[in-house]
Amino acid sequence: MENVLSILFCLTLLYIVVTSRLKTYVSILRTQGILLSAIMVFPFINHLSVHILIIPITSFIVKAVIIPRFINKIVIDLDVKRIVEPSIQPFNFLLLTVASMSVMFVSAHVLSGFTPIEPIPFASAFSAIIVGIYIIIFRKKLIVHVVGFMILENGIFLFGTSVAGEMPTIVELGAMLDVFVVVFLMGITINKIRSTFTQQDVSVLGRLKD
Amino acid sequence: MTELIILLGLPLIGIGANYLLRSRKAQFGISLLIAGLHLGVSFLIFSGVVHPADNEFIRFDALSRLFLLILSHVYFWVVLVSYSYLNRPTLVNEESGKRLYFMMLNLFLFANTMALISNHLGLFWVASETTTLSVAPLIYYYADEESLEAMWKYLFLVSVGIAFAFIGLLFLTLSASGTAIAGQQLLISTYTRYSVLLNPIWLKASFIFVLVGLSTKIGIAPMHPGDIDATSNAPSPIAALMSGSLRGTALIGVLRIYQIMVPTATAEFARTIMVIGGMFSLFVAFVFMFKVVNYKRMIAYSSVEHLGLITLGIGTGGIAFVGAMLHTVFNSLTKMVLFFNAGNIHRSYRSREVSSVWNVLNAMPWTGWLFLAGFFAIIAMPPFGIFFSELMIFQGLMSRPWLLAGVMFLLFFIFVGMSKTVFRMLYAAPPSDAVQAEIPAEKFDIMHFASIVLLAALVALGVGMPAQLYATVVQISKDFGIVL
Repeated sequence: MENVLSILFCLTLLYIVVTSRLKTYVSILRTQGILLSAIMVFPFINHLSVHILIIPITSFIVKAVIIPRFINKIVIDLDVKRIVEPSIQPFNFLLLTVASMSVMFVSAHVLSGFTPIEPIPFASAFSAIIVGIYIIIFRKKLIVHVVGFMILENGIFLFGTSVAGEMPTIVELGAMLDVFVVVFLMGITINKIRSTFTQQDVSVLGRLKD
Repeated sequence: MTELIILLGLPLIGIGANYLLRSRKAQFGISLLIAGLHLGVSFLIFSGVVHPADNEFIRFDALSRLFLLILSHVYFWVVLVSYSYLNRPTLVNEESGKRLYFMMLNLFLFANTMALISNHLGLFWVASETTTLSVAPLIYYYADEESLEAMWKYLFLVSVGIAFAFIGLLFLTLSASGTAIAGQQLLISTYTRYSVLLNPIWLKASFIFVLVGLSTKIGIAPMHPGDIDATSNAPSPIAALMSGSLRGTALIGVLRIYQIMVPTATAEFARTIMVIGGMFSLFVAFVFMFKVVNYKRMIAYSSVEHLGLITLGIGTGGIAFVGAMLHTVFNSLTKMVLFFNAGNIHRSYRSREVSSVWNVLNAMPWTGWLFLAGFFAIIAMPPFGIFFSELMIFQGLMSRPWLLAGVMFLLFFIFVGMSKTVFRMLYAAPPSDAVQAEIPAEKFDIMHFASIVLLAALVALGVGMPAQLYATVVQISKDFGIVL
């Protein structure tokens, strides 16, 4: 079941690459949050307890509810144009992503031969990390960079659930809180950037250099 | 238990108190009290008077003790000078930044202490991410376009970097799979004890990811730009705090992974990577020392240089490792002097550009001479401490003449580039068409007092090394498998 969910997770990545509407970005973030929480619950589906559910429920609240809402609110507040302004042709981007994903899946398959990893969640996680970085590189809007960062974080979370070894609850909660506050601070910063500069994309950030 | 309450509990109380208190004097008083108690406890722990009990999450080994003392020491001076700094005439529109100032400083202290003494790598990760969050609003202190850009870049680059470090930690978990410690917590003590069992490929991958990720915070090239922007646009006490202690907190993360690798065959790999990183940082500092037109950026590049030297020393091993550890101490002291006085210059000349600063020695004698002394200290002029620690690093490099020659070459031209800028600021006569407002006559203030004490400490520590400091550094070297 985790494999199916991981594949679904990969599909959301492909979708985010071809779409150019900000709204879709946010709903994809929401979908990924739901998928991640489901992936966390599934191994324990037969012996559920409150203690096990703490992390998935928090992750659901943070990743599927609060952060997408917060980003949506910024988009509305900023009144930015609701498209993402790519600096690369969508088709080329798709090609690049598919190629990277294939490399990931093949190498995960090879790696699984001599180390105990689950190839499909592993490859999906690293595809998300790479797609997150691509979005940060190839998109101009700062708010889209935040979405890229969240996708990267989602990939790391998926990777974390696919490797054995549990972190203590307090550490996981701390990590979640940190990510949330980072996104929150980024949102505040974007708001400040709007009131200081006329635009909200990377072109305004060129004052500091040598 | 009392130690932990003072080290971690008090800063937490400080956050709350500073949120509630509105009077700046009260905020300062309570923060200074916390800083003083923190420094006292760190010193007692460092000198072995107090032995806190280690547990699963917390550990006070020699490395933590040294870095904890560096943190509390830098923090104490920064808080001490902050009150007079905040009361200065406003330069831009920093009034809004002043409200959060002491609260964020307390959060900074809490998160850094947590990161330095944590024995759980997951906890370390959470704490070091929190240090970023605490310092980002402080970078935005001046609330102008530059500081906004610096804050955004720092927040974003470091968050992505820390995310990479997390991947590194997950790789570390993977490296344990199939061994006796599979499925156990990511405890540094456990992993160090059983490190020979770990899978070398994942261990190497882990080191690369952690080093690259934390480099954004340490400021090792090529991941240094966010750090440069942040330190140069933050108010000078915060810049001193970042250069003096925040970089060390990130460095300890890399050192922990390296410590795990030391007994294994992968240690050589880690050392090579660190030597490359260190050399590249020196090279970047060398190039940019000739290009900088902003004196705060110049000091920030000097941090890249010195953190590069430290990384190089750690990678070289032997006596160079000892030198690198001492260098972290001396660098933190010197950076405070430089940034405090650079802040004074910035206030009077209202510009960070080198071209609009001249004749500092005459216009501001206290600041000018102390800045000059700080400059002599940072270029490793004897009798300042950095001279002795760099000498140890060079001694360790003796067995690799080419590397030593390269380091000497780069350091010499960094010295030339830096002195060109510094002497211009201190001595140059104002251009004839200068439209410069009168520089008000300078009074002796707390920043000068701090600089004098710090410079004296730098000389004293270098010439008469306290036995306790040397013993701690030797103990750290032993923990890293170095036989002297």
